[in-house]
Order: sequence, then C-alpha cells, then structure tokens
Amino acid sequence: MSELTFAQVDQTILNSLKPAGRSYWALIAVLAAGVLMGAACWLYQIFVGIGVAGMNNPVAWGTYLINFVFWVGIAHSGTLISAILHLFRAGWRNPIARAAETMTVFAVCTAGLFPFIHLGRAWMVYFMLPFPNQRNLWPNFQSPLMFDVVAISTYLTVSSLFWYTGMLPDLAIVRDNATGFRKKIFTVLSMGWTGRFEQWRHYTRGYLFFAALATPLVISVHSVVSWDFALGVVPGWHTTIFAPYFVAGAIHSGLAMVLTLMIPLRKVFNTQQIITVNVLESVAKTIVFTGLIVAFAYGTEFFIAWYSHNPVEQYIFHYRPTGHYAVGFWIMAICNTMVPLLFFFKKVRTNIVSLFVISILVNIGMWYERFVIIITSVSRDFIPHAWGFYSPSLIEYGIMIGSFSLFFFFFCLFVKHMPSVSMTEVKEMLE
Amino acid sequence: MDRRTFLKIAGMGSMALAAGCSPDPDRKLFTLVRAPDDMVVGEPQWYATTCRECPAGCGVIAKNREGRVIKLEGNPTHPVNRGALCMRGQAALQGLYDPDRLKQPLVRNKNNWKPVTYQEALTLIRRKTAAAARKGPDRIQFWTEVMGGPLHDLATETMAGWNAAGPTVYEALGYDALKAANAAVFGIDGLFAYRMEDADVLVGFGADFLETWLSPVSYARQFKTMHQVRKGRKGCFFHVGPYQSLTGANADVWVPCHPETETLIALSLIQIGLDVGRAGHLPFPLKESLEQIVSRYPKAAVLEQTGVPEPVFDQMARRLFQAQRPLVLGTGAGGPGANRYATNLAVNFLNYLLNPQLPLLAFEQRYRVETAAPRTSLRQQVERLRGGQTDVCFMHNANPVYTLPPDSGMAAALQDPAVYVVSFSNVMDDTTALADLVLPVQLPLETWDAYEGVTGAAGLQQPVLGRLNEAPALGDVLLASALSPPTDTDTYKAYLPLALNKRYGGIAQVADWIGMLQSGGLFRDPSITEPAPDPARMDPEALGRAFAALEPRPRGPVLIVAPSIRYFDGRGANKSWLNEIPDPLSMVAWQTPVLMHPETAVDFKVKTGDLVSLQQDRETLQGPAYVWAGIVPGAIVMAAGQGHTGLGRFARQRGSNPFRLLGDRTGFMAYPIAVQAMGRTVPLATTSGSRVQHDRKIALHTTVQELRHPGEHEKPGLTMWNFPLTLPIPEGYDPKRDFYPPHDHAGYRWAMVVDLDRCIGCSACAAACYAENNLGVVGQERIVEGREMAWLQVQRYLDKETGTRVSFLPMMCQHCDNAPCESVCPVYAPHHNKEGLNNQIYNRCIGTRFCSQNCPYKVRRFNWFTWSWPDPLNLQLNPDVTVRAKGVMEKCSFCVQRIKAAHNVAKNEKRAIRDGEVIPACVQTCPTGALTFGSLMDPASKVNALVKDPRAYQVMGYLNTKPAVIYLKKVVEEV
Repeated sequence: MSELTFAQVDQTILNSLKPAGRSYWALIAVLAAGVLMGAACWLYQIFVGIGVAGMNNPVAWGTYLINFVFWVGIAHSGTLISAILHLFRAGWRNPIARAAETMTVFAVCTAGLFPFIHLGRAWMVYFMLPFPNQRNLWPNFQSPLMFDVVAISTYLTVSSLFWYTGMLPDLAIVRDNATGFRKKIFTVLSMGWTGRFEQWRHYTRGYLFFAALATPLVISVHSVVSWDFALGVVPGWHTTIFAPYFVAGAIHSGLAMVLTLMIPLRKVFNTQQIITVNVLESVAKTIVFTGLIVAFAYGTEFFIAWYSHNPVEQYIFHYRPTGHYAVGFWIMAICNTMVPLLFFFKKVRTNIVSLFVISILVNIGMWYERFVIIITSVSRDFIPHAWGFYSPSLIEYGIMIGSFSLFFFFFCLFVKHMPSVSMTEVKEMLE
Repeated sequence: MDRRTFLKIAGMGSMALAAGCSPDPDRKLFTLVRAPDDMVVGEPQWYATTCRECPAGCGVIAKNREGRVIKLEGNPTHPVNRGALCMRGQAALQGLYDPDRLKQPLVRNKNNWKPVTYQEALTLIRRKTAAAARKGPDRIQFWTEVMGGPLHDLATETMAGWNAAGPTVYEALGYDALKAANAAVFGIDGLFAYRMEDADVLVGFGADFLETWLSPVSYARQFKTMHQVRKGRKGCFFHVGPYQSLTGANADVWVPCHPETETLIALSLIQIGLDVGRAGHLPFPLKESLEQIVSRYPKAAVLEQTGVPEPVFDQMARRLFQAQRPLVLGTGAGGPGANRYATNLAVNFLNYLLNPQLPLLAFEQRYRVETAAPRTSLRQQVERLRGGQTDVCFMHNANPVYTLPPDSGMAAALQDPAVYVVSFSNVMDDTTALADLVLPVQLPLETWDAYEGVTGAAGLQQPVLGRLNEAPALGDVLLASALSPPTDTDTYKAYLPLALNKRYGGIAQVADWIGMLQSGGLFRDPSITEPAPDPARMDPEALGRAFAALEPRPRGPVLIVAPSIRYFDGRGANKSWLNEIPDPLSMVAWQTPVLMHPETAVDFKVKTGDLVSLQQDRETLQGPAYVWAGIVPGAIVMAAGQGHTGLGRFARQRGSNPFRLLGDRTGFMAYPIAVQAMGRTVPLATTSGSRVQHDRKIALHTTVQELRHPGEHEKPGLTMWNFPLTLPIPEGYDPKRDFYPPHDHAGYRWAMVVDLDRCIGCSACAAACYAENNLGVVGQERIVEGREMAWLQVQRYLDKETGTRVSFLPMMCQHCDNAPCESVCPVYAPHHNKEGLNNQIYNRCIGTRFCSQNCPYKVRRFNWFTWSWPDPLNLQLNPDVTVRAKGVMEKCSFCVQRIKAAHNVAKNEKRAIRDGEVIPACVQTCPTGALTFGSLMDPASKVNALVKDPRAYQVMGYLNTKPAVIYLKKVVEEV
C-alpha cells in the first residue's frame, strides 16, 4: 500500500463514484422490491393481527426480536472499528472504518424497525415516549424495553454523527472533483470544508472526542439489549454473564459482517491495494478472539446451569443441544466457536474465498445464537403443561427478507454515491 | 341463606312477575331507548330455572342484563347441585344463542326446505294428526328427550286424544342394564339415588359419576365429601374397568380389567362376601344359586381372565369388606359390553351382602331419566315406523339418527315417505334433516315448564330473557293441536301451575306460585315411605339364567364408546365453548382422539397424532390416535359426541361418530374391530405441552400418613423445594430476599386457595370463565398453533412411572405480589392495584408480549387476532367486561368486575366487603368447592384459615413471586 500516492488513493475512491452501470441498478431494483415485499408483509400483519406470524403462547417472541438482536449486533463492529481501534491507534482499521460505520448506521436503522414490527399494536408505540399527558401516565423505566429505547436511539444518534463527522474531509474531496448538480450537493454536504489548519485542528479533536464518547456505547448498547433477557426470570435468560456475552457476540457477528461486505466491495471497486489482505487478516484475527470469548460464554452458561442445581435451568441446557431445536444449537455452536478457529491457520485467513465463506458461516451462527436464546428458553420454561413450539411463518420470512433487502439497499446506494473508504485516513497510513 | 342469595332471589320474584306474566311476549330485543320501568341499566336481574342439558336437572339462576341473559349459575338452594354447574350447564347459553338456530318452521319441499309461518306449521300438524287418528289406533309416535312430569302428562293425554299410546322417551344414555338389574333385584324398574357422601369405601364398575352418570354435579360434590380428609381418614374409591375415565382418574386405585370381565370381579367379591358369612339374610334358594354361580369362577381363574393383579384385587376386597359404610356402583349409562346387565345384577347383590339394610341406596329418590324407553321397546317402535303402522312421528330433542346404531334402521324409517316426520328441534341435527316439517319450539331457557330430575327436586323453568323468535312452547303446540284439549286453559303457561298443584299440592294462590318461582322450584325432603326392598324376591332361576352365558373376554381390539363430559351424547357438539375447552383427560380440544394403550399403539404401529381407522362390518370411522396408559392393552376408547352430519357450524363434519360402530348386544362396546393406521398424522389440538411435571413444584401431593404425623420440616432455604410459603402481604416481605419494598394494600388483598384434593379436573371453572369474561373462542387450527385464550386452564399431569396417576391443577393468573410481568412492561399495562390485583390495562397495552415471556406460570393470553362471535353469540357477552381486540394481552382478573360490584354495594351500605361476598365465576361454579376466594387482610376470612393448612404451597414459589393463588396439596392414600 505504501507505494500508493495521495492522488492514486483519491482517484481509486473517486472512481467508485462514477456513474453506475445497468447491473448496479438491477441490483438496486431487486433490493427495492425486497423492501416493498417486507413492507407489504408488515402492512398485512398490522391489518390482520400479529397472529399471521408464527408466535404463540409460550413463545411470544419470534424472528422479529431475533432479527432485532441480530442487526443490533451487526451494528457493533462499526463503532468498535472506528472508535475503539482509533483510540488504540490500530492503523489497519483505517481502510475499512468508513464502510464499517456505514454498516453500523444502516444496521441500527434496520434493527430499530423490528421492535415496531414486533408490537401487537404498533400504532400505540408513542405510549413508550415520556410525553406529558393529563392522565399522568409515564413509561416504566424499570422495563428493559425502555432501556432499549434510550440505548438504541442514543447509539443511532452518536454513530450517525460520528460517521458524518469522519466523512467531512472526504466529502470535500468529492466536491472538488465533481461538476454540475453533484457539486452543489457535495458543497452542501461538506459544510464549507476547506482544509485549513483550524478546521483540521477542530476536526481531529472532535473526532477523537467522538471516538471517546462512542466507545462506552459499544459496550452499553448490547449490554442493554442483553438485559431484555437477563432481567427476565426465564431459565436460560436470567444470568449475569449476558452483558459481556452479548457484547462479544455482537462484535463477533459485526466483524464477520465487515468481512462479508468488504470482500465483494474491494473487488467491485478495485480497492485491493487499499483494503489489503493484511487488513482482512487483522479482522480475521479479531474474529478468532471474539469467537473464543463467545465459546467461553457458552461453556460458562452450561457450567452455571449444572452448578446451580436448579432443575429448570438444568433442563434448558440439556434441552438446547438435544431437544427440538438441537439443529439450531449445533449450527450456533459450530459456526461461532469451531469454524473461526480455522483462522489460526495463516492460509485460511489470507485466502479470500475462505475468509468470505467463514464470515458468512459466522453470520449464520450468530443469527442462530439469538434463535436458540430467544426461542428455546420460553418454549420449555417453568410450567411443562404450557410448553410449545414455534416456527416462523411466511410473513415472518417475508419481513426478514425485507430487512436484509433494506440494509443492502441502503448500503449499495451509499457505496456508489459516497466515498466508501476514508481517503484522509488511508492517506494517514501512507506516511 | 346469605345476603347475595337473598338479593338474587328477591330479584327473581319481581322480574318473574314483570316479565313472566305479560300477556304477549316481546317480538324484538330493543336497545335501552325504551327500557321497562323496573329495569335498572347496569343491574342484573336473576331468574331461577332448571338446566336441561342433561336429565340430571340442576337448578340454575340466569343473569339477565338489559334483556339479555349473559351467564348461568347454579341455584344455591337447589338440592341437586347446590349452586354449582358443570361445563355443559355453563354452556347452555350457547344453545340459546346458537348462530345456526332455526328462525322459523321449515317444510320439506322435495330436496330443499321451504320456510312457513308457525300458524301454517301448526295447521299442518293438526291436519296430519287428525288424519292419522282417524285412520286407526296407535298411528302416531312421539319421540322425546326426558320431559318433566306436566309436559309428559300433557303429551300422553294429547296422544290419547289422537288415539295413540304415550310418548317414547328416548335417551341415548338410557341406563337399560342398571334399570333391569334394579327391577330384578329390588323390584324397582327404575333408577334410584345413592348416598355417596355417607360412604367410606366406594367401588365403581364403570359408573362415570363425575362426567355424565345420573347426576354428575351432585355426585362430584358427594364424592369429594366422602373423599375428603376427616379426622385423619379419607374415603377410598376403587374404579374397576378397562379404561380410566375422568372418574377413574380421580379414583384412589384404578383396577384395570379386560373388557367384559367386570362381572367376574363383582362375582369374585360376592364369593368373598359369601365366604365371610355375609349372606345370612338371603333366602336359601337364592343363596344356593349365588353360591353355584360364583363357584364357577374361582379367584385364580378370575384374576387370569380379568388381568387384575392379585394384590390390587385383595386390597380392594379387604377395604370393601372392612368398610363400615361401603357402596358399590354399577356400570356407566351405556354399558359397555354384553355383560352389563350381569355386572349390575352382581353389583346390586354385592351391596346387599355388604349391608342388607342397604342404607346408602336412596330408593325414595328416583331419577327422572328412568322414564327413558329401553332399547327393546325402541326397536319395536322403529319396526312400527317401518312397517307402515305409523303415519306421523314427532321428534322432540331426540337425535336417534345420530345416536342409534345404523342397523337400527332409524334413518331409513324416517325417510319412508309414508311417515310424516315432525321435528321440534331448533337446529338442523342429523334426525331433523330427515324430517318433513321442522317446527322449532322454545328452548328450556325460554319456556315455562317444570322438571324434577330426582325426587324432591321439582325445579321450575321460566323464560330467562325476552323472545329471540316467535317459536311456541311445546306445550302450546300440543294444546293447539290436540283433538280434544285435555285442559280448559289456553296456554301451557296457565296449565302448568294447575298441573303442578295437582302433582305436589301447595299452589293455592298466586303468591305460592311466585314463591316457587323465586326459589327455583319446590324442594322437599323425599320422605322414606317404603321400607328398603328385599332382594329376596328375586327368582333364583332367573339369577342363574342371567349368569349362565357370560360373554368371555373378547380377543382382538375392542372399541369402547365413552359418554363425553363435554358433549354428553352429542347434543353439546355445536357449543363452541365445549369444543374449545379440552377434554380433561386427553387435553385435546375440538377433536375426539382415539385413546389406546402404548402396547396397543406399538401393535398397530401408530403414535399419538397418527390417523387411525376403526372398522366394524361396513362402518368405518377415523380419528387421531392418542397414546394413553389409562387403558388396558387391546381396548380402544373413543368419546361420543362428534361426527354430526348436521347440528351447526361447530359440529358439522367434525370428527367421527363412534355410535355408528355399535350394536345393541354389546351396548357401548364393539368388537371385533379392525384397526388400521392411515399413514397420516393429524395435528392434535392439544393444550398440553408435557404430560409430566419434570420434578417441579407444580401439582404436589402428600399422604394421609404424612398429614397425621407431620414429620420434621426441612430447614427453610431458597431452593425450589424448601422455599417457605411467602404470602403476598407485607408480612411476606423479607429484606434478605426482596429488593423492592412490599406493597401496601388498602383494605383487601385478594387471594385464592385451590384445594387440589377437591379438584376433579372437570373444567366447569374454565367454562364459567369463558362465559363471564368474554374469552375468545379460537378454533381447532389456532389451538394447534398454541393460541388458546383460556384464562383458567385445568392442567393435567401424569406420574412419570405409570402414567396412570393423574393430577389436575387449575392454573390461572397468580396475582403475584412480586409480579415478573409488571416490571418488564414499558408502559405499565400490567398494573398492581391497591388490593393486590395484577390488573391488565387493555387500552394501555401496546403488545410487546414481554409480560407473557416473563410470566413463570404462562397464564397470559395474547390476542393474536380479533376474535369473532358469530351473531347472535355476541348477545351473550358480559357488558361488564371489555371485549378485547387484536394486539393486546389479557389474563385472569380474579373477576375484577365482581369485586367492583361488591365494592359498590358495600360502599352504598357504608361497610366493608364481607368474606364470601366476592365470588369469581370459577369459584362459583366449582361442583366440589375446590376454589375459595377472599381477602388475606381479613383475619377471619376463609382463605386466611386455609393458607394455614399444612398442605399449603405456592407453585414455583422459589421464584419469590409471592403468588396470591395458594394451592393445597392433593392427599393421596397409599392403599
């Protein structure tokens, strides 16, 4: 990478913003159709009732919350990469920081939709806002769901601002190289950035403070999401390990999603020289680390269940690997803890194909982790008479596909119209 | 009499005058723009009447709000049920508001129906009967369900005017064998009552007295009286039979025997009785004959034949003959089996041997259902229908096409164009579908009548609501079509008091009549006029003949058709509550499973849920298998009631009709049958996720011995098993365990005590809850999906080892003091009120369903859809309870509307609510008094006394939820 000049960096990135071809717009059209289908499914659900989804009496939470937790998890790595690794001065994060942050913002947006989709009466959601009213009704801040509202909205705000702040110098570069209407847009977006010394001084300070501010959020948001479960009494949920376990899992899935996104991106935009194999390898190494934490957390859960001597707790942890949802459990266990260990081999973690495949497998594994946690516990909790099974309905699949479409729709639009690699930060690396 | 009862009864009287005695019935239900003068909006009016869902004739008081009857409750002064009702009684309202009720008379016109007016229909009847009467004697038949005395007499007299013999009383559950045995042994061709509550050891040979037998609500109460722990002792009940009915599941010991071999067990017991010298009172020839009979069946052979383990048999014999007040009951209503007569005969003798005074046989109390015609005479009637000797046949609430076996030829007889069939049914049932004229008459809840289910309990019937249609009363139809009216009165309503006065006396003035209406009837102690009959008069030769040709144990699979606690003989099949509430034993709703033993299932290679077909001769039926250890191998049990070709939307083409496989000889049993797996699996609409408790603190039991000698208590701790009972009151607060301060309650802390030792699992409470709280009926598919809405479920658990020891546990919202649901809701929709209730605020709920996820008892129910009440079932909805729409959570409220009503009354009278003043619907209807409700803050309340019982515990109490539902352990006796 060091042989690149500043101009080459700019040119490589600016090339990615050139008018798109037909295949790009075809992809956008497919994704838009997916979004519309998801929206149609949601509309149908609102009119007919939440019963069109597969949830039932013991299992009243289904794919909507699985996807919620999944996307919140995905949203984690962006801020981890841009903020925490920035503070740690890990240079390899620079080429992927922008894309990871973008992923974060859109993943939080996607995740944020799911609680609404999940609600039995989505049209009454404003009851959760602490607005003054003559009946003196107030939301219950004891409820983890209220924690969620606060945590997710804070995270969305901070990560969007952080993302936009980091983009300012790059937007100015695009503005300087653009003509016509695009120039006008980027003039507005770059907010009069000229690259003067004071601007740089304020910018770097501001960026650093943002990074410092965002860092606790990485930890807090998924901790709060984990309390949706850990603060319940349900066996398999009610455990103190959940916060660190969820944070590690979230970073695990987020890093995998970064790989999943970066590998095609660097090929399509010809940025192999900027997003080098070294960068991907560093991500892979981090995945090994998070995978080991996740494996430790799984082990701890089983140990504590055995150690607790609580028959209800023990039953759940016997049920997960052997019961009705055993397939889900083993997908989770293998994909999240065994498969990433392959990255111990240099050949595996430097091979683009294996990197891509393993990143997908970890994504699947992490989706199933949420499935196993959310579904198995309530499907077999305290009162055996009430036990029951859950399987997602077509409407839920439709909404799930819609959510993936929505995420990729935003992401694809972004990478083609905004600088998807931070030119200024890449240049920092060149010195 | 308590204050509530007094008020109810006072209400009945005035309304009876106002509504009952108006000259012309209202033709429309008005909204309250023009309310009657004495109707106060929001105040219910109560009318006493009699339940006619089965021949038992329980007393009912019907709650009428703004002209609509919305709830039935047992009449507390009625001697049969004393305030309780079963689930069929609770669901009687749904017959009234049946969406498929016929609205006007129909005349058959080739292959379709032509609506006619009531006047035209009456004219038709008059013409047809007059013509038939002119043609000769006995050309008119009148098939009817059991009717009360006055109406029966009127029908007889009217028919006499038509030159015909009296009505044919048709009941599918007709007790032929029991009646015949009573006639042979005691000279009573009828059905008398049993003083079960006075017994100390009870042996039943199949009588399902907790479900359908004679008078189930009454016997449920009596059974639990004899079965409760008194002075450290407890009555003991042995159920002998090839399968566990709900009754058998409540027995201390189920004595499984092969089909057709119950007689041998009874004979073996007689042998023991003879051996121990209990036959001293029998005349010699009879004794000799008995000895001769029993000598043919040595004990070893009997045990081998029946398959009963020797220790079980010995134990039963020992307990029975050591008992001070033993009672033996015969078979169920339908048999089953070719030996049913012999079994009942042996049972009657056994009772005699046990105590020649027969103190527990209440001969003076006779059941009205004894008027049902035996099968032999029904056969003759059918013959006369087919043989061209009958011109007109009336059908009144009898459905023989459904309940009689196909070889009876009933359907063909009714289709004969020479017979003019008139059905008085309100629904297009299987029999009515073959009629030539359908004239819907008033239903029991709409009409004036009287019914004495058992001697001494002469219940009156009066309309409990305004008119939904113009249907006439059957009595009026008879009066209008009689050739020579047997009375000068124009209407049956006017005829009724006269007839009753003739029958019972005591109705000299209007005031007497009003008094009877207020109390629900004329209840008196049946006087013991005759001495107990002496079985000595039985002809020894006849005795010998009866046992001469006992049917041997059949080889190969045997189908036993069990009368259903939900559908009775099938008449309840179109009531959506009865379908929606699962069968208490199999926990299957909407379907009728084919129950079979695990070994049988292996033989036929089927699993629970696999579709099987049962075939006998040309008749086949299909049903989902349900593997169940409470049956002997080889027997297959199917409940009757489903498989109608008509009846209505909830019954039509649903399930199979097992009556079709039966014949006369073997009663409610059929063999040999061919069983075949169809290779398909049907999703079972079961509400049970697991049959066993997985060693959790849910439905617990203790033993009499333990209660007598309370051992060393384990040191209290924090685990599931040693967590102390923690009441939901400030005293239950422990700073070591509790993070949040205790709730302060204002005056009351409502709580319920559930005595598992009294619960028989009959699910009447669940039905009452559906009626009181406007619960949505979701249907079979939704139950398969796990979306039933029952606020109160009677959970069934089997023991791990045998699967035959059944525990029932009514589970409803526990109204915890530390409610896990309350803390997780983001909008405070579950709300802890000042009186400890966990309220669900429907219009605040946004449907996160977190409360349900976090509820350890899983009693919260979510409205996945907006449920529908097909017109006019919506008229039944309780106006005091919100009808919930899609997207909100709901659950048991402890009938908060009743608590609020009690508050209003107490406030007006400037006093506190008294103990026992608030009675939730489930508590009110419980036949055995298993549920008690009250305030824990009232030191004198019944619940406060009960929670001090050493049996008291809380389900999963170790979660420190501090539930306000306290359970009392079931007491089992290690016999």
